[in-house]
Amino acid sequence: MKKTLFAAALFVSAAVGAVAPASAAPVAYKIDPAHLSVAFIVNHLGFSNLIGRFNAAAGDLSFDKDAVEKSAVTVTVDTTSVDTNHAKRDEHLRSPDFFNVKEFPKMTFKSTKIEKTGANAGKLYGELTMLGVTKPVVLDVTFNKEGVSPASKLETVGFSARGTVKRTDFGMKYGAPYISDEIQLLIEAEAVKA
Amino acid sequence: MFDLLHDPFVQSSALPLIISVLAVGILHRLAPGRVLALAGIGVTFLIVFALVVGVPALPPPSSMGKLFWSAAGGLVLGVAADAVGVQGRAASVLVAAWLAAALVWIALPALDSAVAVLTVVILLAVGGVVAFGHPPDRTGGAPAPAASLLALALAVGGTALIGSSASVAQMALALAAAAGGFLLWNWPVERHGWGVSGQVALGIAVLLATVLALFTQTQAAELLLALPALLAGRLRHRLPLPETGFGRAVGSAAVTILAVLPALVAIGAAYLLGGAEASPY
Repeated sequence: MKKTLFAAALFVSAAVGAVAPASAAPVAYKIDPAHLSVAFIVNHLGFSNLIGRFNAAAGDLSFDKDAVEKSAVTVTVDTTSVDTNHAKRDEHLRSPDFFNVKEFPKMTFKSTKIEKTGANAGKLYGELTMLGVTKPVVLDVTFNKEGVSPASKLETVGFSARGTVKRTDFGMKYGAPYISDEIQLLIEAEAVKA
Repeated sequence: MFDLLHDPFVQSSALPLIISVLAVGILHRLAPGRVLALAGIGVTFLIVFALVVGVPALPPPSSMGKLFWSAAGGLVLGVAADAVGVQGRAASVLVAAWLAAALVWIALPALDSAVAVLTVVILLAVGGVVAFGHPPDRTGGAPAPAASLLALALAVGGTALIGSSASVAQMALALAAAAGGFLLWNWPVERHGWGVSGQVALGIAVLLATVLALFTQTQAAELLLALPALLAGRLRHRLPLPETGFGRAVGSAAVTILAVLPALVAIGAAYLLGGAEASPY
C-alpha cells in the first residue's frame, strides 16, 4: 500500500513537472558600451531639431525572456560626454545653464517596472535622476533580437527605446521654451551575457 | 511684449535697468534715509534671476541655486543692518562674514583640486577687499562704489558671455544694469549714501565670479584684471574738479568711466584668450 502511494506521488509530481513550464530566472547582462547609443532630440527655436548624444554610458541588465516583467535595467550616463558636434555649444551644455557637469557628472536611469504590450514591445517604467532631481520616466521599448552575435561570439540581446522627458521637471529651465522643454530620447543598446 | 520680455538682451539690460530705477525710486520714497534705497539693486537682481533662471528649490541642488539664496539672505541682512544704522568696520565685518560663508557654501562641491582651492582663496581675498575696501558710510557718496559694482558685474558678465555660460552672463549683466539704475538716481545729484545693502550687491558680483570660475570652463583668471575698478573711487579726490554741483556731477561720471576701463580690459583679455565664438543656440 505504501509503495503504491509513493509510486503514485512520484508519478503525479513528474506529470506536474512535465506540464508546468520551467520558470527561468532573470539572466544578468552587461550593456555593451560599444553598442550603446544614448541620443536626444531638442527643438531649436522652432527652426529645426538638433540631435545630440552622450558618448559615454554604461549599464546592467537583468533579463528574463519568459517573464519580462521580472527584468530590470540600470544605466549611468556620463553627462560630460555630451556631444552636439559643436565644441562651444557642448561647452555651454556642460555649464550650469544645462547639465552642470561639474556638480552633476552622472545621470542615471533605474527601471521600476516593465510591462509587456506586444510580442516584442513593452513599456519600461523607471526613474531618471538628472541634476540631482529624480522623476519617473516611461520608455517604449522594442526587443530586437537575442542570440549569439556572429561578431563577438557572445550571447547578446538587443533593444531599442524611445521616450520624452521635460527638462524643466529636472530644474533645467534655461532657454525654455525657445529651446524646447520636451526632449525626445533615443536609446539603442546591446547587452552581453555577464 | 511677452516675446520682448523673453529676449536675453532685454533681460540683461533694459529690464533690470527699468526695474532698478523703479525699485530704488520706491524705496527712496518709502524710506527717506540715505541708504535703504540701495536695496533696490539687490531686489532687481533677485527679480531678474527669478524671471530668467527661475526661483531655485530649497535646499538648492546647484551652485546657481545657492547663489540666489545667498543673495536673498544677504539682501535681508543688508536691509536689516542699514535699517538699524550699522556702518564702518562693524558693517564690513558683517559683509565679510556673509560673503565668506556664501562663497564657501557655493564652492564646496568644486573643491576637488589644488587649483580650485587656490581659486577660492583668491576669491575670498577679493571678498575681503570688497567688504573692507568700501566700508559703508552713510555720509559718504554712493556713486563711486556703485560704479565699482557696475564695472565688476560688467566684467563678470562679459567674460561669462565669451566663456559660454549664458545664465551667469545674464545675471551679471543684469546686476550691472541694476547698478546703472541706482547711478541714474544719483546723477547729477548724489541722493544716497553707501550702506550694507550696497556692499552685499558687490558681494553678489563676487559670488557670480565664483560660479563662473569653479563651475564653467571659462578662464576666469582674466577677471583679476577688473579688480582696479574697486580703486576708482579713490581717484575721485585726485581729479581737478571744483566742489560744486557741476564738479560733483562730472566727478561721478569720470569715476564711472575710470571704473569701467579695467572691466573692458578684462573682457578684452577673455575675448582674445578664449576665442570670439559665442555659443549658438
